[in-house]
Amino acid sequence: MDKLAKQLRTDAEQIDVTVSDELEQRINASLRAVEPMEQMPRAAKPPLFWWASTLTGVAAAIAVIVIVNWQVPDEPVSPTPVNFVAAVPTIDLNAETAMLTGPLQEELDKLQSDLKKAEEKVKRDIGL
Amino acid sequence: MTDESKLIVAAKAGSAEAFCDLAELYRERLLRFLLTRCASFADAEDALQDTLIAAFRYIHSYDSRWRFSTWLYRIAIRNAAKLRGPDVMEVGELRDEENDPLQQCIADSETENLWVSARRTLTDEVFTAMWLRYAEDMSVNDISTTLDRSVSWTKVNLMRGRRALETQMNSAADQSEAYG
Repeated sequence: MDKLAKQLRTDAEQIDVTVSDELEQRINASLRAVEPMEQMPRAAKPPLFWWASTLTGVAAAIAVIVIVNWQVPDEPVSPTPVNFVAAVPTIDLNAETAMLTGPLQEELDKLQSDLKKAEEKVKRDIGL
Repeated sequence: MTDESKLIVAAKAGSAEAFCDLAELYRERLLRFLLTRCASFADAEDALQDTLIAAFRYIHSYDSRWRFSTWLYRIAIRNAAKLRGPDVMEVGELRDEENDPLQQCIADSETENLWVSARRTLTDEVFTAMWLRYAEDMSVNDISTTLDRSVSWTKVNLMRGRRALETQMNSAADQSEAYG
């Protein structure tokens, strides 16, 4: 034991403490009046509980297996080849083009005749 | 089986008599320890009573793998912390020398009691660690369990506490030499 440890031990012993008779009686009286709290015992599970939980587990596992197997999809059916060329109707592309450009052509003709009329009117006005 | 173990077993079975005998082994040590943190001797006595009552009430939670003193000091420290208020002082707090219960219990001496200087210079936890180590002779492992700290924390702080007190002790020795 080194010097400091010795000194600390000696100094602790120099703290003169005595428990008075009055305090001793007080402590003993209060200890006798106290009931120690009882440790909550773990409720022992009956063997029936163990069997019931085991059976429930097994039943649940079987149910899961049955459901999974039940929902297995049928064998995939190979699709019959379809003749897409025959199925799609042919469109007369020229007719469609004419149908789309017809109104525009008409409008163009009208504008050209309007332009011609305007030119003739201007020529008449200036005396050409 | 030691006497202490027999008393613990009986106390666990609910015997107040056995616990009273068990308490008799520790109460002076506990009172001395509590005196370092209480503002008066009466407060220290109350703290001791509360500690012993709590220990008996919760004796079922005592694990025999621990030392009984470790468990008891743990309750005392917790109890002292609970009581902390105007009646319980921090270790480093300045006290009125005349009313300090610790000073009153120390016989007059030329040099200051090291525990009085320890209380002035060390923090609360370091003081407790030092007390448990050097006044109670507890192992570092037991101290760390009591304080709920790691072993390395305990070792480091014991070392710091020692250094601080060695400095105090040496300066006190130098002073007494200087004054002849």
